[in-house]
Amino acid sequence: MANINNKISWTHLTSKVKQLIVAVLSVTFGISMYVFMNSFMNGVNNAQTDITFTSMSHIRVYNDPAGEPAILLPQRNSSDTLTMVSNARHINYTEGMINADEVKQVLQKNKDIVAVTEQVNQNVFFRNGVTKVSGSLSGVDVANEIQMFNTTEYITEGNLNDLDKRSDAVVLGTGLADKLSASMGDNISLTTADGVNKVFKVVGLIETGSGSVDKSRAIISINTARQLLSKNKSYATDVMANVKDYNDAKTIAAEVRPDIKYKTEAWQEGNAQLESANTLRDIIAVAVSLTILIVAGFGIYNIMNMTVSEKIREIAILKAMGFDGKDIVYIFLVQSVIIGLIGGFIGLLLGFAVASIVDRIPFKIASFDTLPITYLPADYILAMLFGLAITFIAGYLPARKASKIDPVAILRG
Amino acid sequence: MPIMNITAVTVTTTTAIITQTAMNASVIGITIITTGVIKNKKMKALTANKITKYFHDPETFQVLKDVSFDVNKGEFVSIVGKSGSGKSTLLYLLSTMDTSYEGNIAINDTIVTGLTQNELARFRNEHIGFVFQFHYLLPEFSVLDNVMLPALKLKKKSKEEIEARAMELLTLLDIKGHETKKASKISGGQQQRVAIARALINEPAIIMGDEPTGNLDSKNTKIVFDIFRQLAKEKGQTIIAVTHDDEFAANCDRIIEMVDGKIIQ
Repeated sequence: MANINNKISWTHLTSKVKQLIVAVLSVTFGISMYVFMNSFMNGVNNAQTDITFTSMSHIRVYNDPAGEPAILLPQRNSSDTLTMVSNARHINYTEGMINADEVKQVLQKNKDIVAVTEQVNQNVFFRNGVTKVSGSLSGVDVANEIQMFNTTEYITEGNLNDLDKRSDAVVLGTGLADKLSASMGDNISLTTADGVNKVFKVVGLIETGSGSVDKSRAIISINTARQLLSKNKSYATDVMANVKDYNDAKTIAAEVRPDIKYKTEAWQEGNAQLESANTLRDIIAVAVSLTILIVAGFGIYNIMNMTVSEKIREIAILKAMGFDGKDIVYIFLVQSVIIGLIGGFIGLLLGFAVASIVDRIPFKIASFDTLPITYLPADYILAMLFGLAITFIAGYLPARKASKIDPVAILRG
Repeated sequence: MPIMNITAVTVTTTTAIITQTAMNASVIGITIITTGVIKNKKMKALTANKITKYFHDPETFQVLKDVSFDVNKGEFVSIVGKSGSGKSTLLYLLSTMDTSYEGNIAINDTIVTGLTQNELARFRNEHIGFVFQFHYLLPEFSVLDNVMLPALKLKKKSKEEIEARAMELLTLLDIKGHETKKASKISGGQQQRVAIARALINEPAIIMGDEPTGNLDSKNTKIVFDIFRQLAKEKGQTIIAVTHDDEFAANCDRIIEMVDGKIIQ
């Protein structure tokens, strides 16, 4: 049965080549747009995330002294005593973590955590001559820092490893260096909140792409930072960990939280705006590309409807000769599915081509050279599935109409 | 497929046979009827029993009024009558394409009344061949493909057998040499003969024609008529044709004349 029906479908398709091309092109266009839009949006999302994670870790552990101060008062010894405390405040707390090694060990034990590093962060004043700029000073564990944030990629001048070689070395963010009018090899001095002064030599410049970070951050070795603050060898203000997939950060943070006595925070908790922006971009991409696919579906619907109207006498005669409703549906459905398959396949190729052309368009912002594109197999599979589903529906409606044609009404004239 | 056998054909109408032409077949037809009513059951190609049909659009109108008749195997019958007499309507009921009627119809000892559309489609494919006033060939297919189509649908024979059979029919109908042409590229008379070949490919018990020669000149009309005549005589195929052509009708075995939805005898 399928054999002769296929033959009829194929003859219908090939006898109207122009119409076939138009139908195929509408699907091709829809599917290629779907592929391109999603590749581009994913590229933008990934680029955004990459920039974010150049200075931010997936999970951060820090000492959070905030919260209600505990009020320590003797037990009331009789019910007629009234105790009142006004203007409660912390009288003593520890800044940072004096035993960061312990936290590191806990984090390293979790198998989903791929990198752990510690930092000593402090707000300081940078001075170069009369220029005075406030900023943040990061004492980093150079080897681990590079592993985690890929920091060397963002170094525009100098070498990050020099930080370990001399204790007075500093790497400045490019924006900060501009503000201080400092360049490679210059000496700048900085002052801590406790009033300690030290002179540093600029051994490198870094540009992460995140403007606020580049304008305020300087990097020194973690040991120098500990000295500067007169802290012990295991001291750190932040312990940071990266996980395999940053989308899992929340669950993994929850796993390690019971074993750590400091605040353990996944990136999403502090940066909801990033996550929502990603989601919104995805929604826009899917909405636009599905709209295009649906328009393509209308095109096919229209063409198939025309074909059915044109062939109404042939359908009647086929029915008279003994083809039943299912055969007729099959004949016309096969036509639209073939259009969907050809159009879909070309659409995938075209989508890939457009994406790779856009991938080469120069785009000089932050750390980019070209527009960001991500190639995900899932986009291609979904595009094909959506395309086929829409051509199936668009073909089924006219096919069903054709199957309901009453041969008597047509053949009697 | 729940095909019921006819258990009792009570209506044994003494069918009027117009014997104005002394054709052999009609003489045989009479002999059969007169020799044994009991045996008739086997020999009936088609039985229509008390067929009544209404049209409801634009207003209810009774097209067929209690029509009953039989057609024997191998008989060449024409249905005549003025327009509006119900002859085409009757033919489409007999063809099983139109299923809204009262009464019942049996073809080849199978009661077709009450079968589902899909069962009827299969039944038509195997047992009924159609020739219309307009050829209704599929214009994008070759002549040969057009002829083979119903047999490919039936799938009782291999493709090679079907092709051989189709070529045989095309030779018989004198269209050999045109088989690879598109159906839209041959002349009207040839197209009608291709349509006949297509109607014959499954060797149906009954061939139904709705003014099969209505669009043909006298030469082609004669060719088509002779083919029908030959089929009825040599292959025992039953032919029922609605026609306006008096000469065509006059040469048949039997004429069923319709007036106002009734058969007049």
